[in-house]
Amino acid sequence: MKKLTLLFFFTATTIFAQNSLPDLSLTTIDGKTVILKNEFNEKDKLYIFSFWATWCAPCINELDELNDIQEDWKKEANFEIIAVSTDDSRTQKRVKPLINGKGWSYRILLDTNQDFKRALSIVNIPYTIVVKNNKIVHIQNGYVPGSEIELFEKLKTL
Amino acid sequence: MKKINQLLIISLLSLSTFAQEIEKEKINFNGGFESNSQWYLNDNGLRDEFDNPTMQPEQPLRSNSYLFLNFKYKKWSAGIQGESYMENALLNLNPKYDGANVATYFLQYRNDKIDVTAGYFYEQFGSGLLFRSWEDRALGINNALRGGRVIFKPTKYITLKSIYGNQRTGFDVTKSVVYGADTEIILSDIFRLETYDVSLGLTFVARDEKTDIVNPNFDDVTNAFAARINVNHDSFYLSSEFNYKTEDAVVQTPGIIDNNLIKPGNALLLNLGYSKKGFGIDASFRRLENMSFFSERAAKGNTFNDKIMNFIPSLTKQHHYNLANIYVYQPQPNVSIADVNFVKAGEIGAQIDVFYDFKKGSKIGGKYGTKVALNASNWNALGGTFYLFTPQDYTTDFFGFGKRMYADYNIEITKKWSPKLQSIFSYINQYYNKKFIEDAIGEVNTNIVAAEATYKFTSTQSIRVMGEHMWADYDKKNWAGATVEFNINSKFSMYVSDLYNYGNDLEYAQNHYYNVGGAFRKKSTRIALNYGRQRGGLVCVGGVCRFVPESSGVSLSLNTSF
Repeated sequence: MKKLTLLFFFTATTIFAQNSLPDLSLTTIDGKTVILKNEFNEKDKLYIFSFWATWCAPCINELDELNDIQEDWKKEANFEIIAVSTDDSRTQKRVKPLINGKGWSYRILLDTNQDFKRALSIVNIPYTIVVKNNKIVHIQNGYVPGSEIELFEKLKTL
Repeated sequence: MKKINQLLIISLLSLSTFAQEIEKEKINFNGGFESNSQWYLNDNGLRDEFDNPTMQPEQPLRSNSYLFLNFKYKKWSAGIQGESYMENALLNLNPKYDGANVATYFLQYRNDKIDVTAGYFYEQFGSGLLFRSWEDRALGINNALRGGRVIFKPTKYITLKSIYGNQRTGFDVTKSVVYGADTEIILSDIFRLETYDVSLGLTFVARDEKTDIVNPNFDDVTNAFAARINVNHDSFYLSSEFNYKTEDAVVQTPGIIDNNLIKPGNALLLNLGYSKKGFGIDASFRRLENMSFFSERAAKGNTFNDKIMNFIPSLTKQHHYNLANIYVYQPQPNVSIADVNFVKAGEIGAQIDVFYDFKKGSKIGGKYGTKVALNASNWNALGGTFYLFTPQDYTTDFFGFGKRMYADYNIEITKKWSPKLQSIFSYINQYYNKKFIEDAIGEVNTNIVAAEATYKFTSTQSIRVMGEHMWADYDKKNWAGATVEFNINSKFSMYVSDLYNYGNDLEYAQNHYYNVGGAFRKKSTRIALNYGRQRGGLVCVGGVCRFVPESSGVSLSLNTSF
């Protein structure tokens, strides 16, 4: 009975879901504070937020792949990729040497106490959202080699 | 049950009102759902060290579920999280998670200058060594404070935070009160430094817990202070944090408050690094003295991480190989004056990471590049002079290296052979002192070799094969393991794995821990099904661990957001 009501509750809610970028401020890798809705608000531009951590191998694979091909894609779509590190204070100090070592050109946000991750109810990483005009227009939960191709196909339709 | 129905009715009613508003696009609504279920089975083949088979618990079908809903209207937002643990929580989770109920809720107002929250909130000051409230469902941690928080940003370069509340424990909150304040100042912005990023932080946290002890030698209120600095300049960076906790009764055994051993605590954290394209080095030093901090004194050291107030991560590499996660370090911030061979006032140690990329086209780099990551860490008990008998006491030395507790030296080499094939090779050497880390007997030395390869068949179809072996000279001794993961397309994956403890001295305990499972992903939803055996031991996230018993069965997990 309890499960049924829960399920009903759950389906009832999905119908009305309409998601916007959470109203949060986060720290960048250089220690600056940015307010999400003010920072990523260029009209009609697609912002791809990729949630990752230094200990998450598939996340790093995804960001490696995206880094290699993003310049090509930019000829066909107006977008920017932001890598949101969910590393807590155990591994946060590894973020900087890792991204520099890899030569990633992304803007890096530090979600040290996982406020951003929690606001979007993210359970597992890698997890990628696409934001347009402050609205979340696409979600990709997980990553397998090749997911980036599908993501790009999707970008062209958004 | 009554409570739940009431909750549901209220939520549904409010939801339908909200739904009408949504049509006007004024109210924004989102949420998420997660459910982890396990059906525990009897398993005669899975034997423990006493040759007992693995038996299912009284309620073999258990499920932890979480539903989070969030509403936003202009500068206001409100959220509620319901949790259900039916029938009972997954094995060895805090038994206070029982039944279904409203777990957390909040109301928040936020603009660019001020952010006010009433209800449950999560917060972290500095590195979290004095205060962190967070949620980790896999570990059963949700130590949100219920009370109020104000964040004020008078200018771009100053952030002031203040908090007050009771800490969540199960579906209840503690009687004790936690309050504090934190400020962060970005100096480089104030002084318009062009090539430097410099920030300073100051923290104050207090815990007020009335004690039942007659004639206590300590105060109800324990205060704690911290200062931190962060400097970036070109490729260099440095950060340091010093924490001090005022005198309080020491708890050596969970539940037992020692009214005769009253000590302050402190922690020093230092981190330095240099990185440029293709190269990075990072070093951390940490010294902890009597530094665990719980919202109730007697909770210190409880196995469920209940009422934990601060976050003390283990500064060691978080390995992703199964066998490298059998002997996992857990930080040792506590005092122990048990016997001559088991004394410590905390821990002291360091960790170093080096990353290097051999360029594409170079001899070692090959056509597609080779990456090397080196990591070393070593942790000793914090030593000094210890007085074993009544009254117990101790004094510490700044560089007091007591008995060695843990060490890990490892190398990982990643090589891309072609656009389709990539391999990783790792070697790990660990030292693990069971006495100090688990309060058990013995020391374990391990050597672990692991190799994995990923091959892409088509743009979305790939296979990953991983093999690992551990040589250990004590405890359960040698292990071998293998995993094969097949990504059928971007939506479906399957895997099969086995860990085999073939070296166990007890023949009946030479167990296979096999698992087979699959996962389905679509948009924001992920569903995973697994059948197999769970190795008993520690499940750790960020160096905070939870003990899980051996089990066998079927698990189903689902998560989605909307």
